[in-house]
Amino acid sequence: MSLVVEIKNAWIRYPQKNALQDVSLHLKEREALGIFGYNGAGKSTLLKVIIGLKRLDSGSLTVHGLQLTPETQRAIRRKTAYLPQCLDADIRMPISAWDVAMMGRYGKIGLFKRPSQSDREFVRTLLQQVDAERYANTPFGMLSGGERQRVMIAHALAQEPRLLLMDEPTNSLDLDFTRILCGIIRDAHSRYQLTSIIVSHDAEFLSDICTRILFMRDGRIAGELLPEDFRGAAMVGRRFCKELQ
Amino acid sequence: MNISILSDPFMQHAILATLLAGVVCPLIGVLVVTMRLSFIGVSLAHAAFAGALLGLILGMNSVWMALIFSVIAAGILGPLADSGEFSPDTAMGVVFTSALGLSFLFLSLVPGPKTEALSLLWGGVLTVTKTELEFLAGITLLTLLTLMLFYKEVCAVLFQRELAESTGIPARAIFYGILLFCGLAITSSLNIIGGMLVFCLIINPAAAAYQLTYRIGTMFVLSVLFGVLSGWVGLFFSCLFNLPAGALIIVTSSAFFLAAITFSPKRKARFVRLTKDG
Repeated sequence: MSLVVEIKNAWIRYPQKNALQDVSLHLKEREALGIFGYNGAGKSTLLKVIIGLKRLDSGSLTVHGLQLTPETQRAIRRKTAYLPQCLDADIRMPISAWDVAMMGRYGKIGLFKRPSQSDREFVRTLLQQVDAERYANTPFGMLSGGERQRVMIAHALAQEPRLLLMDEPTNSLDLDFTRILCGIIRDAHSRYQLTSIIVSHDAEFLSDICTRILFMRDGRIAGELLPEDFRGAAMVGRRFCKELQ
Repeated sequence: MNISILSDPFMQHAILATLLAGVVCPLIGVLVVTMRLSFIGVSLAHAAFAGALLGLILGMNSVWMALIFSVIAAGILGPLADSGEFSPDTAMGVVFTSALGLSFLFLSLVPGPKTEALSLLWGGVLTVTKTELEFLAGITLLTLLTLMLFYKEVCAVLFQRELAESTGIPARAIFYGILLFCGLAITSSLNIIGGMLVFCLIINPAAAAYQLTYRIGTMFVLSVLFGVLSGWVGLFFSCLFNLPAGALIIVTSSAFFLAAITFSPKRKARFVRLTKDG
């Protein structure tokens, strides 16, 4: 299987603290890679590097076989969907859930063109798949955290990505919806043959949907485990993390 | 008021000028209000005012100088806000205070009576020239066309810039374009509404429309409607009571805003959301 993401010796240096320190990783097609770690471990930074929202100070990054440069950035982004941490939207924002899901399609549609009937049908199908069609016309700011997350997954899938990057998708979600989200992500992963990187500090969630899990601490990859080992270890909670450290 | 005044060319120019300013300023207003960057209008208006004053001092075309200054200010604001070292608020504060300082400096350097300089401050809708009208019409048309061409990309940037960028939309270029058009709208309306008041015509109609709709397309339409009505109602009372038109246009737009927040359906929605969240 070809590599979808390959990072070699990545560094991001800040005056007080390095956000990434000598990070190397690779991701094969159809893999679901989990990245576990506590706040400030560098997990979100790593995702932003892959989508080109943050630049490396040194090291190399290849996505979909393309070295990430300002010239290749747009081509990479068109095949990569990014689900940021829970969006803080103004409740009065004049943008509906449908608009947000459709926005995921805009990069693919391209400049000077309007969404076609098939684009609308595709987005409607996605909203049905994530069970969000019933509030498609509701203002995005009025949705609950779980409802927003469903819409954001539809937004990400609307890009028809090959690589899906998710940053703390279970943040602010209750246990029941976290289980539902697991099902939605697993379904999307197999239906659209995705390759994914999922960042989370929810060990159980990661062990449920990932094929491999990395542990990050202080900007470094501190360890790697298979989900079955991770699930057992996660039961021990903080003791496991201390052992890895 | 004699109705025959409407057949006078100066009044026809004034009606057309308030129509055009009432379209272009609120269109830009929707963008800056939705992005919560309302202070941009203030910063760029003062930069344009400083430029126009420098034009007066150097004996150059004040409109072109205002345009150059506001474009430079927009060009500084974008990268400053993007650098990550400042919040957009800080960047706008720096540009605003610098422009204000330059305005006072240039105002003190204007030779002779300062009538012309002060008219830039308060505007003069009844003295608008054909050239100024053509310039304003050109900028209004350009803004409308650009907005129609890039409507979906602009909406994505308004919602969340970083997310738009991650989907392959040239979000940075769109954001800088919004700043540039903000500068153009302000410059073209400077002689009509005045440097001190033009940002009110940018913010107030859009802020009023924001209270009344959950659809971005409707917000554009409503804010233009409020902008044009503010212009015409302000102009009408200006002629009726012989008061400054620029000030009355702004007072009218403020009245629209007050009415909008009073009757806003979003007040109830906020209560529902708070109840829903527990």
